[in-house]
Amino acid sequence: MRGLIKTLIGDKRNFFAAAICIFLAVILVHTPAAPLTGIAFPLMLLCGAGYLSKY
Amino acid sequence: MIGALAATFLTASVEWVEAYTILLAVALSIGWRRALTAALAAITVLAILTTAGSLLLTRIGDLSVLQFLIGVFLILFGLRWLAKAIARGAGLKSLHDEDAEFAQLRAKPEINEARAAWAIAFNGVLLEGLEVWLIVVALGVQTHHTIAAAAALAALLVVCFAGFLVRKPLARVPENTIKFTVACGILAFGTFWTLQSLGYAWPLADASLLALFAFNILGGLALTALYKKQPA
Repeated sequence: MRGLIKTLIGDKRNFFAAAICIFLAVILVHTPAAPLTGIAFPLMLLCGAGYLSKY
Repeated sequence: MIGALAATFLTASVEWVEAYTILLAVALSIGWRRALTAALAAITVLAILTTAGSLLLTRIGDLSVLQFLIGVFLILFGLRWLAKAIARGAGLKSLHDEDAEFAQLRAKPEINEARAAWAIAFNGVLLEGLEVWLIVVALGVQTHHTIAAAAALAALLVVCFAGFLVRKPLARVPENTIKFTVACGILAFGTFWTLQSLGYAWPLADASLLALFAFNILGGLALTALYKKQPA
């Protein structure tokens, strides 16, 4: 069971990094700046990957 | 569809290589016959999980909900693999070494005890296979679960054949490069579906997937190069 949960969501840091990116994307897509989400969201995720790999 | 199948095949290949190392270590202690029963039992559990997962997903009538769910899980998976691949590529984390893994397993005292060794093989194949399961279930929504499962099985056959030929850990498989590429692809799928489910219209429609994949590859490579230059 622990293996299944780890496979699905990873560790806490991974989960929170993804959750923050998705949360910000949800907000951004409902603002007038919505067209920028297609650039901002992948960029946020890449920053998240960069953070997780370094720390 | 080809992208999803390639991602499934490559993910499965990497995971089966790791599972093969565990199985080989166990087989040297308790024999191939017992080790293979453990692997078959684990694969049966994975097949049941795949069927249950695909049935569950096909029951979700709302496409947006389905896309969001799948997208989120692909992002969680892709982010984890990309971060690991960047860290390993930059030297912040040691590369996964199948030979070392094999030696470590062989040094375990419980590997010589039949029941414990069987459990090691079963748990090992099951845990490695869970990542294959996730990708088959998630990407199978776009292709078809049977086709996605066939891609994973094809990878299993390739690894079995390679293992049968060399009869030692498959240490020469460029695991980090494969993981990096697959992570970029999976993250691209996850990003695409998550935003689409939120009502975002991708400017290039499906072709945006290729742009996202290229963006992740270039960004990942840039981060790897940046971290290589920086002191740890």
